Amino acid sequence: MIAIAGLVIGILAGLFLEPSVPEGLQPYLPIAVVAALDAVFGGLRAHLDGIFNDRVFVVSFVSNVLIAALIVYLGDQLGVGGQLSTGVIVVLGIRIFSNVAAIRRHVFHA
Amino acid sequence: MSDDPHPRPGAPEPDQTRYVGLLTQVMSNTLDEDYTIVAQREGGAEGPRQRRPVRRWAVLSALAAFGLLLGVSALETVRDRPDVAAERAQLVDQIHAREGRLDALHSTLTNLQDEVTALQRTLVDGVTSDQHLADRLTALGVDSGTVAVTGPGVVITVDDAAGNGNGTGGTILDTDLQALVNGLWQAGAEAVAINGHRLTSLTSIRFAGQAITVDYRSLTPPYVVEAVGDPDTLPARLLETTGGQIWLSLHANFRIRFDTGTAEQVTVPADPRDHLLYARAKGGGG
Repeated sequence: MIAIAGLVIGILAGLFLEPSVPEGLQPYLPIAVVAALDAVFGGLRAHLDGIFNDRVFVVSFVSNVLIAALIVYLGDQLGVGGQLSTGVIVVLGIRIFSNVAAIRRHVFHA
Repeated sequence: MSDDPHPRPGAPEPDQTRYVGLLTQVMSNTLDEDYTIVAQREGGAEGPRQRRPVRRWAVLSALAAFGLLLGVSALETVRDRPDVAAERAQLVDQIHAREGRLDALHSTLTNLQDEVTALQRTLVDGVTSDQHLADRLTALGVDSGTVAVTGPGVVITVDDAAGNGNGTGGTILDTDLQALVNGLWQAGAEAVAINGHRLTSLTSIRFAGQAITVDYRSLTPPYVVEAVGDPDTLPARLLETTGGQIWLSLHANFRIRFDTGTAEQVTVPADPRDHLLYARAKGGGG
């Protein structure tokens, strides 16, 4: 419950407060979203596995977002930002799919 | 997806330490290992986990941040869409405009090329007709005496008989010269001059007082008649004409000098009077 509440609060805040993203941070927003998505699905799966831990979730969430943004920033500085973004998205995408598959097994027992 | 979707708390160690391919590792280790490690640690130490409020708030704020990210991204995308679409439409418009301009320029180019071709043809025609006109002008100038002429021909020198006295008939008359010149024309001369005076269709040879005048200018003997024409045939054909016969008899009867010679280069000047006083071309201007 508390998780869904946080999610709803965050989305509503984003939509209605319309915080303006600084020009320099805009390229990292999509990557940060994907990384956060990975952390959230990982947390959900851990919850279903019965091994969820608040601290681990928060730490993994923050570090995921920061590291993904850092990698893309590094890539931008080295001139391979596009390729690194693709790499990060591929790896995170695979993890997201795997976690969702595990969640699906938990929910549908299939 | 993975072979082992349920990483048990007591997962066998060898699986984690053994090296597997990068892709396999990425595919199989989808869950943060921290969860299992912490679960192992806490699961052994305590029984049911205690959830402290601080941690709950941490989860809440993390998820709120996630929601914020989602909301902001969606908002950004939606906000940018009209700009992107407008930019794209503008580019499409520009492309169409440039294409239209290109087509127009192409057609202009084709028209200009056609024009150039037409003008070149006109120019060639003009040059050709100019050439014709120049040739015709030269021919007419030679015929009418307005153009100086040079070429092979004959030089005939005539003079009064030596020891000429009155009544002996040894004096050259204007009619004699007229007969000679007419004979030359008949024989095929193209241009004739007497003592450097070009003879044209308007030139008169007259007797005025004691002197013969050609074109109203008095001449003194000897008279040098130059004619441009074929030097091989001109003297012989001259003698066959009436004028030639007259001069042969003059030479024989009155010992009037009549020397005929050919020349490689005979120059006949132009008639200084190069315009007509009264005659006008009918229908034409000027």
